[in-house]
Amino acid sequence: MATQSLEEISKLIETGRVHRRVYTDPEIFDLEMERVFGRAWLFVGHASQVPKPGDYFTTELGRQPVVMTRDRDGKVHVLFNRCTHRGAKVVNDRCGHAARMTCLYHGWSFDADGTLAAVPIPDGCAPGFRKEDFGLARVPRVQEYRGFVFASLAQNGSSFEDQIGPMKGSIDDLVDRAPDGELAFDLGQHRYAYNGNWKLQIENVLDSYHVPFGHASTVNKEGAQFARREGDKEGAKVVETKDQNKTAASWRNRKSYVTGNGHGWSSNTVLDDGKRSSPAFDEYKRVLVEKVGAERAAQILTPRLHNSLIYPNVSIMGLNIHVRVIKPIAVDRTEVTVYPVRLLGAPDTMNFGNMRLLNVTHSAASFVQTDDVESFVRTQKGLRSLATDWVDISRGLGAEESDRTYNATRGASVGELAMRAQYKAWLGYMQEAA
Amino acid sequence: MDNVVRIPSPQSTSLARETFELFLIHEAKLLDERRFRDWMELFTEDGAYWVPAAPNQESPFNHASLFYDDRTLMKTRIDRLEHPRIHIQTPPSRTAHIVGNTLVDKIDEAKGEVVVSSTVMMVEYRDESQRIFAGRQFHRLRRAAEGYKIVLKRVNLINCDSAFDAMAVPI
Repeated sequence: MATQSLEEISKLIETGRVHRRVYTDPEIFDLEMERVFGRAWLFVGHASQVPKPGDYFTTELGRQPVVMTRDRDGKVHVLFNRCTHRGAKVVNDRCGHAARMTCLYHGWSFDADGTLAAVPIPDGCAPGFRKEDFGLARVPRVQEYRGFVFASLAQNGSSFEDQIGPMKGSIDDLVDRAPDGELAFDLGQHRYAYNGNWKLQIENVLDSYHVPFGHASTVNKEGAQFARREGDKEGAKVVETKDQNKTAASWRNRKSYVTGNGHGWSSNTVLDDGKRSSPAFDEYKRVLVEKVGAERAAQILTPRLHNSLIYPNVSIMGLNIHVRVIKPIAVDRTEVTVYPVRLLGAPDTMNFGNMRLLNVTHSAASFVQTDDVESFVRTQKGLRSLATDWVDISRGLGAEESDRTYNATRGASVGELAMRAQYKAWLGYMQEAA
Repeated sequence: MDNVVRIPSPQSTSLARETFELFLIHEAKLLDERRFRDWMELFTEDGAYWVPAAPNQESPFNHASLFYDDRTLMKTRIDRLEHPRIHIQTPPSRTAHIVGNTLVDKIDEAKGEVVVSSTVMMVEYRDESQRIFAGRQFHRLRRAAEGYKIVLKRVNLINCDSAFDAMAVPI
């Protein structure tokens, strides 16, 4: 496959700019599946998607079909969803429950931990056939953190701690908001797809620059978006009302942070700035204080890592609570799943209110995400152009600062620091010899 | 015929069926002509438009939906559809609806409500590509002074749980 020499790849990323082939070349895409998705720690799913022994959930890691299961001891497994006999995909439903996972073709059946439990007509097996040799292959490395299940397709490589460690805070921030300290992904999901490269979506999640323009159709004359959180009167304002060339004062202080490995997040407005109030939010605050005490509740409602990207395939959004998983399908085709998240212990009115708001912001028919998707599709079309080879991501270049609180680098949230960090990580993965 | 269909109190289900089918055809025509405000006026003040995101979805209140718009959200959606910089409608969608296999499922004389189900197909063309939405839709209609109005329109798309390219116009 590697018709791309390492030297050639290194020429695709320059300071503040990216070569268009990174988005358009099918060979680069194949190499990404091997070197980025084949190596990185990827988000698989949440443990609450397989609540009981025998439950399963199917997905893909890069292009690998996998199944996440829970065995009778309660342990979560991530297995390759491929029969060890003749290769059929064993589990075909998106999710469900099975005492054993049975292949449709010749009836080989597997336990939730992947063990081959039974083979029909065993007297025909070749001499020396051992069931132990034919369990479903396990994804080499799996690690769960507070219900978030990650896996790496590579036997060796950077540890979970080294790769994902710095982003645990983003998971903590979300999980801690649940008065019971636990989340459930049981409010369904949104799925949308677009004819564009997967990286267009991950660039977008930490791009505050696009908001007033890309989402003009949701911004009122004063420059404020409609309210996107339970209890808010109106949404974010990125530019000044009187001079729309100026970043709004409230937005100017916002920063983007990057930590290496392509991860990043943006700071947010305070969750409890005294202006938010609704019966649901007030009740939620009361329950949280009751569970964790006023001091801790105040900490939880003070922003740390919000709207994060855990490179390369998951984004955790603290604003209107959800988790988003990015699945590359082809160089110009991407599928995204958005999970509304239930904060266990929070009042139903709050959880269901958040869930309903997510219909409006991130469903395939939403008011917000649809304009982003159109931007991705049009970028993919524009990048066919031979006018120039370069995509510019230089905003804020040279204005980065180091941040001791988070041991990170920070820059203006309306800059492109996060994208530069993503491509630095990308180059690292892509240049690492197989 | 404008925003509401004026009909006499239905004496029999067969009479009702034809009348309600006309109502559905009229509604489809408003959508195809992008008369979204007139379409919204077909709904009661407490009316809602719902497209579930899962087959057999029981409720819009504890599970994600593709659309679940009460009148307030419907208005926000339509304001946006009329916004000059709604990128997902540049160029706008052109649609052709067809409604058929209409049945009157329920008549509740006491409440003055009926539930009418029908099969709907919407072909959408936009920006060099064409796609089809199909499913069974359920209209709960309430008799008002000026005719019948929609209390709930639910569209069960056959592919409701698939990954959709962005959607902007109601089905």
